[in-house]
Amino acid sequence: MRRVLGLIASAVIVGAAIAACRPTGDVGYVEIKTVPVAAATQTALYLDSIKLAPIRKGSAILRQGVGTRKLQADWMAGSLAQLCDIVVRKNRITTVTVSVLERPPRCQCRFSGTDAATAHACVS
Amino acid sequence: MMTSLPIVAGRFCARSACAALFALLLALPGSAAQAQRDSAAASPVEEFSQQLDAFQKSVPDLNRSIQESARTIDGMADVEKARAEIDKLRELVSTLLGAVSDNGPVSQLGVKALDHVRDKLRTLTQETRFKPEERQFLIDQWHKLQVETENATKELDDARAQFAGLLQTLQQNEDFIGELLEIRQAEKALEVIRSLTRDIRDASTQLNKLIGGIKPPGV
Repeated sequence: MRRVLGLIASAVIVGAAIAACRPTGDVGYVEIKTVPVAAATQTALYLDSIKLAPIRKGSAILRQGVGTRKLQADWMAGSLAQLCDIVVRKNRITTVTVSVLERPPRCQCRFSGTDAATAHACVS
Repeated sequence: MMTSLPIVAGRFCARSACAALFALLLALPGSAAQAQRDSAAASPVEEFSQQLDAFQKSVPDLNRSIQESARTIDGMADVEKARAEIDKLRELVSTLLGAVSDNGPVSQLGVKALDHVRDKLRTLTQETRFKPEERQFLIDQWHKLQVETENATKELDDARAQFAGLLQTLQQNEDFIGELLEIRQAEKALEVIRSLTRDIRDASTQLNKLIGGIKPPGV
């Protein structure tokens, strides 16, 4: 009985946590491709301050809230190197390729912005 | 790529509420946590299997909507209305992609299930409670589950790539149509729209086959 109650309590709390943390509002996608393709990337990448799990087989598609994100990588002495900005738009995919052999890694946008505000950012 | 739940959640969370809930979850008394550990060794695999099954069941309906939308667009002569329909289509495809994206619920459970199977196999090889033949039987069963889970996650990877490709096709065509309208090339825009609906139908049929072919592990 205690076990069942424990399980129910856990399920309720996990459910509530997920519901509270579910992305609200508009979402889009970031496709990160890494070159060279490896089973999993060694370099840690961050979207804003959020560390991403290693990218498997050279590609990952991440659901993100709409807005501009900073793609960063672990760099010397534990500091983060900013690679590029990524503009996430509603129901669209923004693709960026990261060359992980370079130090620091380098971003190559599939499409870059054409106006002053997004000239150095990857757009969809 | 899989991020852990707190990482995935981090960006979107109403941070204080989220932190409080996770803190509460971590601080659960031993009984609940123990109950989770005891309840079923295969639970992450089952959970993945159930989520995958639910996802598979949701796909035909959404795919039907995609096909209907394509049919509607085909019969339209009003480019603006067709554009609005393409926008709706992007939303449908985006919903599907959301489920299988690397930080989406199905993929996350897949990684969790695989981790669990690998842990289980690691501990079973050092297990001394069972007779060698019993241990071998268990190892064989877990190996089978591992192969099935790996196959399912591989097929999910393919589905993710397909959804992403379709979304990219939609967004690029929509942009091109927008540009054509700016230079008053409505006829050409309609041609692009009709050709796009053919691509959508093909992709949708392919997706149906792909998703329908995924076998949830342990089933």
